[in-house]
Parts: sequence; structure tokens; C-alpha cells
Amino acid sequence: MIAAEAQYRDWMLAGLGGDRTAYSRLLAQLSGHLRAYFARRVGADAEDLVQETLIAIHTKRATYDPALPFTAWVHGIARYKLIDAFRRNKRRATVPLEDAPELFAHDEAEAAAARRDVEKLLAKLPPQKRDLVRAVKLEGHSIAEEAKARGVSETVVKVTVHRALKSLGQELGGHSEN
Amino acid sequence: MKTDDLIAHLSGDLAPAPPHYVGRVLAMGLGLGFLLSAILMLMAMGPRPDLALAMAGGAFWMKLAYTLSFAGLGLWLVERLGRSDASARKPTLLLLVPVILLLVVAVVQFMAPGVNRHQLVMGDSWRVCAIDILTLSVPVFVTVFWALRKLAPTRLTLAGAGAGLLAGAAGASVYAFHCVEYTAPFILIWYTTGIAAAALIGAGISRWALRW
Repeated sequence: MIAAEAQYRDWMLAGLGGDRTAYSRLLAQLSGHLRAYFARRVGADAEDLVQETLIAIHTKRATYDPALPFTAWVHGIARYKLIDAFRRNKRRATVPLEDAPELFAHDEAEAAAARRDVEKLLAKLPPQKRDLVRAVKLEGHSIAEEAKARGVSETVVKVTVHRALKSLGQELGGHSEN
Repeated sequence: MKTDDLIAHLSGDLAPAPPHYVGRVLAMGLGLGFLLSAILMLMAMGPRPDLALAMAGGAFWMKLAYTLSFAGLGLWLVERLGRSDASARKPTLLLLVPVILLLVVAVVQFMAPGVNRHQLVMGDSWRVCAIDILTLSVPVFVTVFWALRKLAPTRLTLAGAGAGLLAGAAGASVYAFHCVEYTAPFILIWYTTGIAAAALIGAGISRWALRW
């Protein structure tokens, strides 16, 4: 099951009922997936295919069967548009068999999910350590900067961050040593 | 046009989607196709003269049940294949059921002592049966392909075969009101040939007839 399935399906059903906000959110998210999907396959022409597929999703939206996975429905259309483009350009029209997860694998939505996971993990740290880890490891501040801002030595910052990460590593059951 | 503008445009004039859209489009296409096919049969061939008598017996209904079961499965197939990514495995496998049932009856009739086996298989109209079925399926081809184009078939060859099967089965159902043959071997061989040929034609024309 694709992580975003439930959310996208909800938006789709709301959109089918006429909810413009949910629908435009859905299309915006899908365009991210589609852009990554087509860019890996046709390169420069990707944006045309993104738009063509969005229009297809829009005009064919009444054919979506709510009993079936929405992501698979979108993937079927994207794949069809890709094959159609290959045929138009007289290119070899074989697209490897793949599943819907392929379409939804690499994109911003996935990154957002990863960010959520990181935040969940960080929440397990005490507030001061959490802020420090976020500043140094996520927001890219330097150790010197943070030491100065907090009025402690750089060594303290370094050790605190190191220990925090180590405890998170143990939390995950792994052996994070950096 | 930029993609963000396109999204704003598409969601800007969003109307609620019509409910049961797929079912209604297909019902409209198939209903109209049946009607036109029946008119064609009445004008070009005419109903069998002993229709009332035949409807009192079992053979007529066996023939009609055979063709209508294909029409039903064909409709199911098209309903699935008209949606992106829906599986059509179940109706495809079920196509074997009417064939096997009729095959059993056909074997029983064929093995019965003292029958004219040549007549059982060839009847009086084997030369025209499949061709007539294809002729009567033409209007249904047009209306069902029209309906399918309004849906979202993504596997065109399969969808075309399903639509052809539906058109052939509808044509055969209409033809059953004209044709006087009544033996199971005849129906099994010649009706199935007509319907299967329609499915093949449907698959063959799918590339350009269904592209969207």
C-alpha cells in the first residue's frame, strides 16, 4: 500500500463531489509525482506529459471506481500517456512492467514523510538537545555558531549532539556512531 | 501554460462528477446498439417466421442464453477495462462457463444414436451464420466503442477485444431471433465463431478506435 493512498483518495472523493480546494491540492501533489516519473523517462518533454496527464485525470475523473486504489488508477493513466507519447514519437513502445509504487516512489511527498519521521524521533529528545540537533544537523548551522549563540564551548555542542544522535540510534535499534 | 496555472484552471471550474458515470455511458451505448441492430435485422433479414412457436420451446432459449451470457460478460469486461488499471481477470475466466455448458449439451446431442450428425453441426445456414452475426454487430461496434472512448481504457488491445466481444454477442443475440437453427453443436461452433471473430476485430481496431 502506498503511504499517500488514503489521503489522495480522500481528496479525490471530495473533488468528485465538487470540493475545489481538495481537488487542487490533489492535482498539485500528483503533479510532483508525475514530474519525477516522466523526467526519468522522457527527460525534456516531461512537463508536457505532466500537463497532458493532469488533463486526462481531470476529464476521466468520473471513471475512477472508489472501490479500487486511487494511486493505481493514476498510475494506469500516467503509464498510458507515456506509452502514447512513445508511439507518437515512433520510439520503441515498451515500458517495463511496473507497479503504481514506482510512480509514487520518488518525490516531495516521500521527502515530507521522511521529515515527519525525523520529527517524531526528535520529539523523544529533551528540548535543549532537540533544538541543538535540529540546528546543527537539519538546518545546517555550524557548531561554532551554535556554541556562540548558546554561550557554551564548541566541545560541549559537539558532545551534546553526538550523544543525542547516539541515543536516537539506540532508539531505532541500530548502532549509529556519528 | 504553466502547470500551476493549469491546476488552478482545472480545479477552478470543477463541477461534481456525475454519479455512476461508467454504468450510464455503457448502458446508453449498448442500449442504442441493440436497438439499431434489431432494426437492421428486421429490415435486412426479418424475424424467423415461426418465432412464436420457437419461443415456446427450449432450443431458442438455450441459444439466447448462450449469446446473452457473452453479452453480460462482455459488458462486465468493458466496464472493467474502461477504467484505468482495473482487473478484468474474473469476467475473462468466466467466459469459459457458457462454452463448457454448451459443449456438454453438444456432446450429448452428437452422441445420441440415430442422429444426422452432419445436419447437427452444419444445419442449413452455417455459411452465413458468422457473417450475419458480424453484420448485426456493426451498429453495436459503433455505439460501444463510442461509449468506451468516453471512459479511460489504458490497455487498448484488451479493451478493444472486450468491446468486440460485447458487440459480437449483442449481434448474435439479435440474430437468434432470425436464425432457425436449434442444435447445440451448431450454436457452439458457428455462433462462437461469429462472436470470437468480433472480439478479434475489436482487438485489431483498438489502436486507432480507442486512442484518447
